[in-house]
Amino acid sequence: MSTVQRVNFTPVSDVLGLNRRDFPLADPTLANPTNAAALVDGEWMSINTSYQLQRAVAIGAAGNHATVRSFPLWAEKGRYDVQANSARKTVVIWLGESEWDTRIFDATAVVNSGAAITTVMQPLKVGSVSLGGVIYSGLVGSAGAADNDPIVGYVTRLPANNGGKLRFRTGYRS
Amino acid sequence: MSVPARVMNDLFTQKLGTAEGKEKIAEYGGTYVRDRLREVSYCRKILPPQQVTRADCQRSVNHDTLVKIIDIEPYSRALVVTFRGQPTANFIRAPRVEAAFFTISSQMFQKTEQELLAYEMPITKVIEDNSVKDIQEIEDREFTVNIEASVQALQQQANGGTVTTLDAASIQAGTVVEFAVRKGELARASTATASSTVFPIQRPDLVNLFKLLDGNRLRSERILMTEVDWDDLLQWTVEDFGDRLQSETAVDGFKYNTLLGRAYVRTVKTDILRAGNVYTFTRPEFLGKFYVLNNSKFYIDKIANMITFQAWEDVSICLANIASVRKLELYSGDASSNNTDGILANVTPVAEEALGAVNNQADANLFFPTVTQY
Repeated sequence: MSTVQRVNFTPVSDVLGLNRRDFPLADPTLANPTNAAALVDGEWMSINTSYQLQRAVAIGAAGNHATVRSFPLWAEKGRYDVQANSARKTVVIWLGESEWDTRIFDATAVVNSGAAITTVMQPLKVGSVSLGGVIYSGLVGSAGAADNDPIVGYVTRLPANNGGKLRFRTGYRS
Repeated sequence: MSVPARVMNDLFTQKLGTAEGKEKIAEYGGTYVRDRLREVSYCRKILPPQQVTRADCQRSVNHDTLVKIIDIEPYSRALVVTFRGQPTANFIRAPRVEAAFFTISSQMFQKTEQELLAYEMPITKVIEDNSVKDIQEIEDREFTVNIEASVQALQQQANGGTVTTLDAASIQAGTVVEFAVRKGELARASTATASSTVFPIQRPDLVNLFKLLDGNRLRSERILMTEVDWDDLLQWTVEDFGDRLQSETAVDGFKYNTLLGRAYVRTVKTDILRAGNVYTFTRPEFLGKFYVLNNSKFYIDKIANMITFQAWEDVSICLANIASVRKLELYSGDASSNNTDGILANVTPVAEEALGAVNNQADANLFFPTVTQY
């Protein structure tokens, strides 16, 4: 199982060409690091009809699956620049392909017709994952053609060969 | 430093291809941004900005962002003692708050060199009107959201910790305490359906607003209001102004720097400070801090024929003492988060993306006389 740390989501490829967009949080309290449900970097977010960010999947329990396109959050828990702006805007990787190391994943979880993460270039999807007793909106394995959930990326390096972190490249497919 | 439009145009069209040219434009542009911001932001007139550097700030061990910690004056008092008595102890402690920094940026403007030729308007005009104005608007919007949060927090405290509806009906029923927010005389007496319709400001409205602050060992020193509400002030009668001032006002408008002894700041940004909302503030040293981290930055580049430019600043706007602001509402509806009368969207700043709506409708061919070239 992955361990959540201070920094959980780091780029492996150049970020200059990416469109890094700030959106307001639908629930501004998630910017508060003392909130038990506070957002951490590497969680996956979707946008609502008000053009605001919300978790792509409900975190009431582990094992829920995202049904809409989602985008990775690139802001560590409790960042001051997020807390200080009135809309609690926070940044997601909105456009562009890139490669990242993440700790917000569960390689063993099998969520809604999914599959455990076992192979390089296996597609990835978003589900609620339990890490250290806290539930996050993170990456889980997709079963590919047999799985109807949106794909958000592909494994490029398995955690066993990457210091416990999952390396993946982004890439969307419905 | 002011730069003539022709100089900037020359730099854009001729020098941008060289490293030296880019550096020069960034230098001119950066300077120009700083000058205009001081001139036009109402936030900066109420809470003057202070330059700080990295050395003044604290880091976090959890992430790479900065705060500046602000000390607040410690509590102290004196007391009477007898010849044999001794004073109570005060183990000294002063509160502190963190002022966190964030970035306000213009949009990233892009245009091809060829398409720029289609404009006779100098490119400096674009920089001035778009970059600088956009940044100052967001400063004001953040400030306005924060002062509104401050008065609403005080209201909630004064009403037993509950967000309590403040509209004409609740005032007339005596169910709300007006501690930090007060309705105007005409608004509070209204028996019509509560709404966001703004009543003209009356002289007692301002006096009562001052008393919200002056009664708490603070003194109101500045008023912030919209031009729309200011215009209503010109309707004051001879009973309000007196004979001499009434004559002057009828000819020149109100030309003095103070109103009822207080300095005032007027704004035309009625999409940020909505009409019907009037705030009063103490002097800045009682209110909080506005820090600018380093200087404003200006980026410009040209790759092949595509010109890209962007301006930004890193700021912190911190209202450390929320007791230093009070509000007057000139409409009868409820502006608390209860939104009892459904008017909140009409009396609070519009969404960031809705700011700066274009007034002209030339793109819709609405200009007169409409001429079609052939």
